[in-house]
Amino acid sequence: MKLFQTCYEKLARRRGRLFLPVLLLLVLALAWLPQLRIGDSIVAMLPDGNSQVARDFELLQKTPFSRKLVIQLQAAKTVSTADLVVATDRLGQRLPADLFTHLQSGPGDMGKLALFNGLGKYLPVLATDQDLKTIAERLTPAQVDRQMAENLTKLLQPQGVALKEQIRRDPLNLTPLALMKLRYLNPLPGVRIEQGHFISADRRSSLILADTPVLMTDAAGARRLVDAFQQATAQLPAGISASLLSGHPYTLANTEIIKSDMSRVLLVSGVGLLVLFLAFLRRRQALSVFLLPFASMLLALVVTSWWYPQLSGITVGFGAVLLGITIDYGLHVYFALCRSNEGRGARLQAVARPLLFGGLTTLVAFAVLLRSELPGQRQLAVFAVTGILVALLLALLVLPQLVGTAVARPKVHKGYRRHLFERRPKLRWTVLGLWLATMIFCAVGAQQLSINGELRRLSYVPPVLAQAEQQLAEHWGNMRGRAMIFAAGADLQSALQRNEEVWQRLGQHQLQDQVVSLAPLYAPLAIQQGRQQHWDDFWAREQSVADELLQQAGAKYGFTANAFAPFDQSLSTDPGPIDLAVLQSWGLGDLLDNFIFQDGPEIQVLTLLPDRPELIAALDSEFADLPGVTLVSQSRFGRQLSRAIAGDFSSFITTAGIVVLVLLIVLFRKLSDVLLALLPVLSGLLFMFGWMGWLHMEMNLFNVVASILIIGLGVDYGIFMTCHSRESQDLGSGRAILVSGLTTLVGFGALVVARHPALYSIGITVLLGICAAVPTAVLVIPAFRPKRW
Amino acid sequence: MKMKIVKRLWIILWITLLTCSATVTRAADLATVLAEAKVAAGQTDTLYSHFTQEKHLDIMAETLVSQGLFAYRKPDHLRWELLTPIASGFVLRGQQGERWNGLSRELEAFSVDRDPIMGMIARQLLAWARVDLDWLQQRYVMALVSEQPLQLKLTPRDAGEAGFIDHLEIFFAADRRYVEQVVLVEKSGDSTSLHFTDVKVNGVLPDNIFSAPVF
Repeated sequence: MKLFQTCYEKLARRRGRLFLPVLLLLVLALAWLPQLRIGDSIVAMLPDGNSQVARDFELLQKTPFSRKLVIQLQAAKTVSTADLVVATDRLGQRLPADLFTHLQSGPGDMGKLALFNGLGKYLPVLATDQDLKTIAERLTPAQVDRQMAENLTKLLQPQGVALKEQIRRDPLNLTPLALMKLRYLNPLPGVRIEQGHFISADRRSSLILADTPVLMTDAAGARRLVDAFQQATAQLPAGISASLLSGHPYTLANTEIIKSDMSRVLLVSGVGLLVLFLAFLRRRQALSVFLLPFASMLLALVVTSWWYPQLSGITVGFGAVLLGITIDYGLHVYFALCRSNEGRGARLQAVARPLLFGGLTTLVAFAVLLRSELPGQRQLAVFAVTGILVALLLALLVLPQLVGTAVARPKVHKGYRRHLFERRPKLRWTVLGLWLATMIFCAVGAQQLSINGELRRLSYVPPVLAQAEQQLAEHWGNMRGRAMIFAAGADLQSALQRNEEVWQRLGQHQLQDQVVSLAPLYAPLAIQQGRQQHWDDFWAREQSVADELLQQAGAKYGFTANAFAPFDQSLSTDPGPIDLAVLQSWGLGDLLDNFIFQDGPEIQVLTLLPDRPELIAALDSEFADLPGVTLVSQSRFGRQLSRAIAGDFSSFITTAGIVVLVLLIVLFRKLSDVLLALLPVLSGLLFMFGWMGWLHMEMNLFNVVASILIIGLGVDYGIFMTCHSRESQDLGSGRAILVSGLTTLVGFGALVVARHPALYSIGITVLLGICAAVPTAVLVIPAFRPKRW
Repeated sequence: MKMKIVKRLWIILWITLLTCSATVTRAADLATVLAEAKVAAGQTDTLYSHFTQEKHLDIMAETLVSQGLFAYRKPDHLRWELLTPIASGFVLRGQQGERWNGLSRELEAFSVDRDPIMGMIARQLLAWARVDLDWLQQRYVMALVSEQPLQLKLTPRDAGEAGFIDHLEIFFAADRRYVEQVVLVEKSGDSTSLHFTDVKVNGVLPDNIFSAPVF
């Protein structure tokens, strides 16, 4: 059947009937473009459904801590802490209120805080059984005598005037038991409170925490935010600097670096493409080859947007990269047709077979991605499959009508490589030896390749921000990298109940001292009522003992008989439960907002803990049986994502490998041809993995997706060169592959000059893969099969 | 009879006039004497004295009498030490200090920024040692009780402080370079008096005087 030859010959007579509908289709697609909704969230590249990674990511996004702006002020050694505090306040005043909200530079003047005055009163609902045991241990003559001496010492000191009533109310000094509950509520591990401000232990740094209405992904908003911050910090006194840490500066830095990278990359690839055009094509009609990727991408975008109402920006970006592959189809048709004006239909028919098989294998390889756990990759599959189908149709039906007449060429066009291997047979063995040595070398290097799923590695981190992050960790501990335990409940009380269970479990592992938790201060109502009951029972037994001991020891140190009457009154007073209103009246409202937040219909209560792998592994199983409790670790999240990517990639490689193999067997029906056709793709992948291993580069999400391009191109090269070796006529495949490889290299390999890690990852993948796949196709395949040349 | 009434009215009138005159004079004099005291105290670089503290507290069966020593070096070094009946006290060097309790043999470092009560005590003692009248006038309403020797009565402006302190009486030395006696009267009627003796102004102080004892 000579379908494409017939089509070519019929359409050649009625080109208008072909071009008009194609043009109309493209115009309609262009008109559809404004309807596209493209999202910029990385969520599309995370496993969806009920995967733990997706749930963890969703929870991480919701935590108030993840949305906080952290402003760190840094003082030189010559600047006093007092000046640093003044500068902190002035900076806070200069930050525009519409961009920086809920500013918090400290807990305020501790001396005036109602918290320290009021907390002791709530000891009945705060005291645990352990606290009651501690109190019981204090009710001995020796202990009470010692405490009474302490009380007298305090009274004699200047502060005695202020402490007299406190001593009367609490002669046994029980208030510290209540104050101890606060030490579990400090989210800033390295903090000191000086003059009501957060000050680092070395007293050289202060902190302002703030919220903002600007979304973290809003680059324009991030620009406004960063500009306003820089304007405010410009007026800081000499010796004091400030840095802003949040997702916004990262968004801005990444947006700007990508813009800058694209300018550099476009310059490099633009010059490269021009050189390639002048070297290999040199004809106005050849430009039509370059239209193929654009037209296929345009139509693929429209079709994919019908399938998925919101497209991932990453999908679109990658799709555009991957559809670069379609230029090959155009090049093969172009080189096959422009050799001569004679027998064009037959040559088109001859080139159609490898073209269709190449396209089909690539198409099936991409279709495998439809089974991916990552929604972005499934979108990519639809996008790429559509694009390849469109490109094949355009390459075989439309492009032949656009390439124009053939150019007269010198007679010596029988294939330079053939002559080379025929003239110098030893060179063939040299090529094969070199190839084998390289592959062995790369196979060894590939053993060292690892996969890193850490999302932050995919972002560009400017040195200034990296330094600020490091300083923040040095001064304040690892406040931005802790694991979190989410305790969810339908209402606040049930969430608090689950949080209490988490706290108790942490206690069983002796971990309570390492976590930041609301539980010791804010227990659920039922627990508080139980504690009040225990307190009452305790003092019903012990009050007479305590009174007698106080009387005896008090008399010894000169206290009157009724000196401690307020203590007895306080024991019989019910303070009521600690609730949100009480905590807010103590000035803890802002802090509470970080630990308790609404999550859809549920309330979540947070606990922070160190993100150590061994700790997370131990706790994971501990909390598995607690409903509504989720442990989210950023480091584990990275590991899980790595596993998901690795699993996805392995599945993709395996399935695509099988599909490609089956298709090659169907196409060639000869084992040696199948193996030959597989050489470029296997060499490209091995070369890429090997060098990445030797260079200690980790495989990330972008390498994985970009390597699909290598697979698609590599398989195509293999099919074309193997088909070419079986054809009696010269289809120009070697030249087409060379130009195609070089086009890919200057188009996408140029991304290796980018500074953005994601773009660089694509660049290095393409550069390494194509650098091996093209020479394997154009040199190693002919070296394996020299007789046919 | 009528003459008697007129005579009494004249006497009342004269007393009233004299009282008013004295009050106006004292109001005008307060600023002057405070300025003079400030100048005199400005010449004080170091102070060293013993003191006797008497506390009349409702919760104690007897008056608490204690002896101690006080040292100050410009601008922010202090030592406040009780020697009897319980050895205890604190030293302050700028923002940092240590306090100790001889009974429990405990020594504890503190920062005036982090310990609000010690911060308040340190500010008060430093204000009196420096005779920092600007700071004191912000916190207290001052009244001149006597010009020679200079005696002031201070009433707290801060609501929190006024909650338990009724007033303070300050007695200056004849040359007004230091405070000789302080009486603090609480709302409850309890009172504390401090009497400074053997006061040495601008004497040489050993460096270790602003260090805590070693237990």
